[in-house]
Amino acid sequence: MTKLDIFNVKTVTIVGVSREQGKIGNIILSNLLKNFNGRIFLVHPTADQIQGIKCYKNVELLPEPPDLAVVSLPASKAVGAIRSLAIRGCRICIPVAGGFGESGEKGKQLEGEMKDIASQYGMRIIGPNTVGIIVPRIGLNTALTTGEKTQFPSDGHIGFISQSGALGLLAMDEFSNMNVGFSAFLSLGNEVDVDETDALIVLGEDKSTSSISLYLEKLGRVEEFLNQARNISKHKGIVVLKGGQTEAGNRATALHTGSLFRTGFSMKSLFRQYGIIPATDELELMDYSIALSYGKPVFGNRVAVITSAGGVGVTSSDILESHGFRVPKVSESLRIKIAEDIADIGSSANPIDLTAEATDEQYEKVMSNINESDEFDSMLVFVLFQTQGVTENIIGFLQDFNKGNNKPIVVGTIGGRYAMDGLRKMISAGIPTYPSISRSVKALSALRERGLFLRRYLNERHT
Amino acid sequence: MSVIPEIKFKELLEEEKFNLPVRFVSENPGEYSGNFPVVVKISSEKIVHKTEAGAVITDIKSREELIKTYKDMSRKFPGETIYVEEMAKRGTEIIIGMINDPSFGKMILLGIGGFFSELINDVTFKKVPIDIFDAEDMISELKYSRLLDGYRGFKASKDIVKELLLKVSDFGLRTEFSQIDLNPVFLYEDHYLIVDAKMIV
Repeated sequence: MTKLDIFNVKTVTIVGVSREQGKIGNIILSNLLKNFNGRIFLVHPTADQIQGIKCYKNVELLPEPPDLAVVSLPASKAVGAIRSLAIRGCRICIPVAGGFGESGEKGKQLEGEMKDIASQYGMRIIGPNTVGIIVPRIGLNTALTTGEKTQFPSDGHIGFISQSGALGLLAMDEFSNMNVGFSAFLSLGNEVDVDETDALIVLGEDKSTSSISLYLEKLGRVEEFLNQARNISKHKGIVVLKGGQTEAGNRATALHTGSLFRTGFSMKSLFRQYGIIPATDELELMDYSIALSYGKPVFGNRVAVITSAGGVGVTSSDILESHGFRVPKVSESLRIKIAEDIADIGSSANPIDLTAEATDEQYEKVMSNINESDEFDSMLVFVLFQTQGVTENIIGFLQDFNKGNNKPIVVGTIGGRYAMDGLRKMISAGIPTYPSISRSVKALSALRERGLFLRRYLNERHT
Repeated sequence: MSVIPEIKFKELLEEEKFNLPVRFVSENPGEYSGNFPVVVKISSEKIVHKTEAGAVITDIKSREELIKTYKDMSRKFPGETIYVEEMAKRGTEIIIGMINDPSFGKMILLGIGGFFSELINDVTFKKVPIDIFDAEDMISELKYSRLLDGYRGFKASKDIVKELLLKVSDFGLRTEFSQIDLNPVFLYEDHYLIVDAKMIV
């Protein structure tokens, strides 16, 4: 099988391009024209040029085989075009239209033909019935949606794979709104050729992808997927939101184990074995992906909570403990050190409350002291911009701290527009930051899960 | 799908060096010279749920009682093999199982056993083979994993559970099966006993 190489696309063609604004074939062209670094050829039966790009009457007349082709034709016409592209030597083909396997027998038959074309010519097909792919690094965007209503991701380190086109775009919009960049976005559609395992491998091999986020409804090659996931998760985090029921096939309940398998099997436990962090909704999918990409694995349950609001400290301690963390008191010697740096009315125990008198410098000193002690495995830091002395100047320190060889941190910030502005800036600085107490605790849990998975390899290194 | 006769499967487990109660298979119960109390069981390819079928009689305290029970059983289950087992001292009950699923492959189960087991439905599955970390995770994924440290007079040991899980996983890897029940497994302070075991292929 030909390697699916979405990162080295230099020429793109659109078959079924349209002159009419608002038509899919036109939206794709507009998206592509915005940032694509390579060359674009269009295929149109009558037009000479569209938006200044030269059109060719058919695929055969293209000046060279395109690296990637988007086919925006109805199901009945798409297969012929796909075959011509394969013969012409195109490497990746993205048929976007629906009306295939999901719509009945005729469609299934067309999918069968596409599958044959892919294997015969070694052209990789993503789709059909896909909303497209986005690779910000090379400005490639074949999405079916316009930039006016959806925010496209900037270049970044999270690879996103979705079996649902719409949910994929919604999540992408959400990520982008948080200033989170993508290394790639792939909507897989009906998966006649490229499936979730292929996509996982591609992002697994990509050096610039530091965590992989998947929305899945079905798992085709279970064993292969899990084994690949396990290999990849030695180096980067994987988060999966698995929708729908799990297709446990063995329905025999002759023995007790059989009936327990039906009632008690959870994907969560299986995912965990293979280094996959499970998410239960689109927010967890995003939050955990950010944590795994920007944060560090957590190797232990002891958390230091640093805040300028006592109530935030108390509430987060409760939530931390319900997630299996501990918020132990700091030792007396460390407590004395911390007390020197914070206001007299503050709490130097844990949660460490810097109070309304908190300043950026106090955060820096306290975090450094905790980091140097060996009393905690991670820090949950609440940067509350409503506090007078807490300013955006703290971001630089947090960024360096997070990048450096220090204890893992997760940052929480709460509030309205001003706070959310700060949140976006922190995320842009690569700091795992969340807009609520429970979301930051859950993100820390994801990093703890990652630490638990990686503990096997730490031991390997030691022995 | 067919049931492997219980005695055969138990012999196989013993060859694999699993711990099971001492067993005595003979048509003449008068020859039994082991300890009491004992349990009398039927090994059958037809009977899967033995207790419900009345194919298990527990807490037999004397030779006379044993001989009488044998007679009753052979009348009730003509043609089936009857055997005797030393009755295991009550331990912390768990269930370990395996299932070969067409999409997931071979999976191993750990669950809390005993009186409330169906009510609390406290189980976890991993894919075979597992490593020591998976075994650790299986234990910690149980809501009532504290039981496996021993609870209220019932001793137990998580280390023994981990070792046993690894051993079962390794056995499962080399064996063809559809489902396996090791149920119940009794845990003690420093060992375990597989009190009953079934396999279907």
